Amino acid sequence: MPYPHDHDHDHDHSHAPITNDERPGYYDIMETAVRELLIEKKLFGADEIRRQIEVLDSRTPALGAKVVARAWVDREFRKRLLENGRKACETLGITFYDDTELIVLENTPDIHNLIVCTLCSCYPRPVLGLPPDWYKLKPYRARAVQEPRAVLKEFGTIIPDDVEIRVSDSTAIVRYLVLPMRPAGTDHLSEQELADLVTRDAMIGVIPVSYQKDAA
Amino acid sequence: MGSETLVNRIPNDIGGEPAGKIERVEHVLLPWEKRCHALADVLDFHKIINTEEKRRGVESLGSEAVGKLSYYERWIVAFANILFQKGILVPSELAEKVREVENRYPDTSHG
Repeated sequence: MPYPHDHDHDHDHSHAPITNDERPGYYDIMETAVRELLIEKKLFGADEIRRQIEVLDSRTPALGAKVVARAWVDREFRKRLLENGRKACETLGITFYDDTELIVLENTPDIHNLIVCTLCSCYPRPVLGLPPDWYKLKPYRARAVQEPRAVLKEFGTIIPDDVEIRVSDSTAIVRYLVLPMRPAGTDHLSEQELADLVTRDAMIGVIPVSYQKDAA
Repeated sequence: MGSETLVNRIPNDIGGEPAGKIERVEHVLLPWEKRCHALADVLDFHKIINTEEKRRGVESLGSEAVGKLSYYERWIVAFANILFQKGILVPSELAEKVREVENRYPDTSHG
């Protein structure tokens, strides 16, 4: 089988225009072949794959941001969220399409939380979507549990020495989400405006949520 | 002393190992990568391959393949191997299917 042609290197000849007819790469074809064989064997339907792609597309950090903003404005919700992350998210209409449990870790002035998956790439996908590549690569996975302060510093986050850092290592069935601290000076913001401040990286725990009054 | 480090840690168990600077790379999934992810989820829903089996399947590719293949390349190769082990697919039928899929496209390889 031909190895997929690498388009990244320099060419001294011009390419034919890339069209939909171009043969996909080796692994792309392997995926199609495996999927089609399993569908032919009636282990699942083609519609299930299409539906799951739609589910994946519907999951973005905006969902997690909505959860965080609600927790900031609604004390009762925050309590429920910290007790059972999955159940509380479900009350906001966020469905969990898998068997994972969600533990929400609250940052406080004394404790900073960071999530990682040292073994692979477990991540709270139902509420954040798919993880960034750096979360799945060796440097973050290897170092987050060993030298979290140094890791955070590379993200521009300086945690004072008197603040405890807790690193939570995700598993196939237990996933974590960081509930960041609400930034100062945001009392006048609406729940939606608060949600707009909350980024994916803040919910992984590598940066805080910040609010610049002038920029708003 | 020496060989025990090969057996007391599985290849993926890298927590605490020394490693380089974190490059904040990310990319939007290619269409086939997204299909591969959806396939993984559907295989899990139907209890054909669960998350733990998938992780072990990737580990058993060996450290050279783990190092050289991309994330979803590892997944799809692991799925094929696991499906062979479970007797759900036979290598020859996958090879045949791959040829069939390839033949849907004109051969554009050159050079």
